[in-house]
Amino acid sequence: MEERELDLYRHTDAVNELLARYGVKFGIYKNNEFKEQLFPFGPIPRIISAQEFAVLEEGLKQRVTALNLFLKDIYGEKHILRDKVVPEEFIYAGSGYAALCEGVLPAQGVYSHISGIDLVQGKNGEWYILEDNLRVPSGASYPLIARSLCRQSSPATFRGLQIDDNRNYAELLRRTMDYVNPGGLPVILTPGRYNAAYFEHSYLAELTGAVLVSGSDLVVEGDYLYFKDYSGRKERVGVVYRRISDDYLDPMNFLPESVIGIPHIYDVYRKGNVALMNAPGNGVADDKGIYYFVPKMIQYYLNETPKLQNAPTYLPYYPEDMDFVLQNFDRLVLKDVAEAGGYGVVFADRMTREEKERFLAMLRAEPRRFIAQEVIDFQDIDIFDETGARAPRKADLRAFVLMADEPLVWHSGLTRFSRNPDSFIVNSSQGGGFKDTWVLSR
Amino acid sequence: MKKLGFTYQMLLRFSAPVTHHHFTLKCVPKSSHRQEISDLSVQVEPYGFLSRSGDGFGNESLYGACEMAHQSFRVCVAGTVRTGLSHYEMASDVHRLGIYQYSSRNTAPGPALLRYADDLEQRRCKDCGTRRGGNYARALFLMEQLYRDFVYEPGATDIQTTAEEAFVRGRGVCQDYAHILIALCRKNGVPARYVVGMLPGEGLSHAWVEIYDDGMWLGLDPTNNLLVTDQHIKISHGRDYHDCLLNRGIFTGSATQTQEVSVVVRELTE
Repeated sequence: MEERELDLYRHTDAVNELLARYGVKFGIYKNNEFKEQLFPFGPIPRIISAQEFAVLEEGLKQRVTALNLFLKDIYGEKHILRDKVVPEEFIYAGSGYAALCEGVLPAQGVYSHISGIDLVQGKNGEWYILEDNLRVPSGASYPLIARSLCRQSSPATFRGLQIDDNRNYAELLRRTMDYVNPGGLPVILTPGRYNAAYFEHSYLAELTGAVLVSGSDLVVEGDYLYFKDYSGRKERVGVVYRRISDDYLDPMNFLPESVIGIPHIYDVYRKGNVALMNAPGNGVADDKGIYYFVPKMIQYYLNETPKLQNAPTYLPYYPEDMDFVLQNFDRLVLKDVAEAGGYGVVFADRMTREEKERFLAMLRAEPRRFIAQEVIDFQDIDIFDETGARAPRKADLRAFVLMADEPLVWHSGLTRFSRNPDSFIVNSSQGGGFKDTWVLSR
Repeated sequence: MKKLGFTYQMLLRFSAPVTHHHFTLKCVPKSSHRQEISDLSVQVEPYGFLSRSGDGFGNESLYGACEMAHQSFRVCVAGTVRTGLSHYEMASDVHRLGIYQYSSRNTAPGPALLRYADDLEQRRCKDCGTRRGGNYARALFLMEQLYRDFVYEPGATDIQTTAEEAFVRGRGVCQDYAHILIALCRKNGVPARYVVGMLPGEGLSHAWVEIYDDGMWLGLDPTNNLLVTDQHIKISHGRDYHDCLLNRGIFTGSATQTQEVSVVVRELTE
């Protein structure tokens, strides 16, 4: 389909006003201050053909299946370490590994119930995986509500268009929750309205029929988790789609200073009496150091060739990669494996000489801390700039894969674009806007 | 082989009533190749509920909560142990040895400990006789050296003190001996873990080290420069002190708390 002047473009302001009215905001902390900003919607969609999406879908299923097997292996038998496919150091000396999770098998063996996989499309048309997000990936609600509001504002646009309806996300999510639920209420646990993704928490609760709760609504008694309503009535909880990180989940098992967590929730999870989505400890599989090994995991666990490729990545931990990185430093992008959200990313060609020297000293001292990647010249997608003119901007795609009895790939995704024409970083924590992602039906 | 009777008591007093008191206790010894527990009694007062759980290291725990206002909290664990059934524990966790090979919060060596580790390496090379025997001989050598170079002094450190800090001070208690020996062992490629337990007499809990060698965990008591014997009753193990807290708790209320711990271990005649 050729993207043309859609009727929708005349209704952009109306859509953005509705989004604001629904409270579709994105909160960020900047200089220790919480700022809530609108997450601007750009009406020009990313369009992916049915054929092309079929390739992505197969590749995403394969990747997430392998990542789940990796998590199960790491917190279980550790074959991949014994076979030296992944060096032990990347597990035990990394920040994502949680010893507490050793030997605990979550319901149905699912660790990453909701995975947000970030991709970009190169100028050559090839898709590259940039990052796996297996902890608390956010963003599905934005294209979800945008589609719904666009259909309201401009029904004409969608008349006769053959695109996959993305409004099934709630069904996929509920199916994923039900699959691991050992019995009891489904709930969505939010840290509260000062969280960057609060809109998403409330919207998904509404759509899935799960109860939106905060930590103080839940209590562990004996071997079970309960929801206490305002009248003091207690009902057993079966599955918690938690939108708070491991650290804050349970002050008795993770950070003791957490006041938003539920004491002992981890203990009843260990017994299999409540499911936590996503499983605690997933950080061991999605840091930037482990990313390098995902294609090897696919080979190792599935005995298959990866259907989707990583961006070309070098691991200075290996001496030959270190040599390469030092020789080609100026054209690479360097990433600190412990950072996320577009932080800790440096482009070598934009460093001053002193910055470069300081960085190289750090790299030599702690090679395991960094990965280096080729800068991918990825495809631009048009946006309307401040003057209303079309202008090309960098954009990535966060695809969502849900793991129920089989991996389910959502036929849509969050396309984020940078507003700054020179920026390659499209993370919403860094400003920028979003687009809907249209997957064509034929 | 010995038969020991033990009592572990912990009393928390709050300066004002507290509510929503949640606790996790890791103070119940469990049977293994080395020791066999019998006549076990566990008392907790007060509690609203009490249940069993565990951690990632193979320890068992008791957890529970008391929602009602209370001003004291008491735990008493008593029982009989036959110790010294063997001088090692078979390692059932060989696949996750890596947990005990890398630095943890309290055992990460700093510049002083790294320098010390290098010095010891040179001393050891001079004394080639100790080269044989692998992990066990290495760890034994490290323990002997540490015992010579570190002074036992209660009050010199506190529970938060790291191996590096204690080493720089040159003095400390069993927790510090254990952390430093663990740091040295791991630096030398010997998997090592922190152990909490009890010794005969009246006093507090004790800490020592287990090192891995050839399918076995062997106990070394660096505070006393001893191999772990039938005097040692083991409670739990982990990467360092933090994994082996005997009592962990949170509560609601503006109160200060004081804790009294008493451990009594006596030899029983058969």
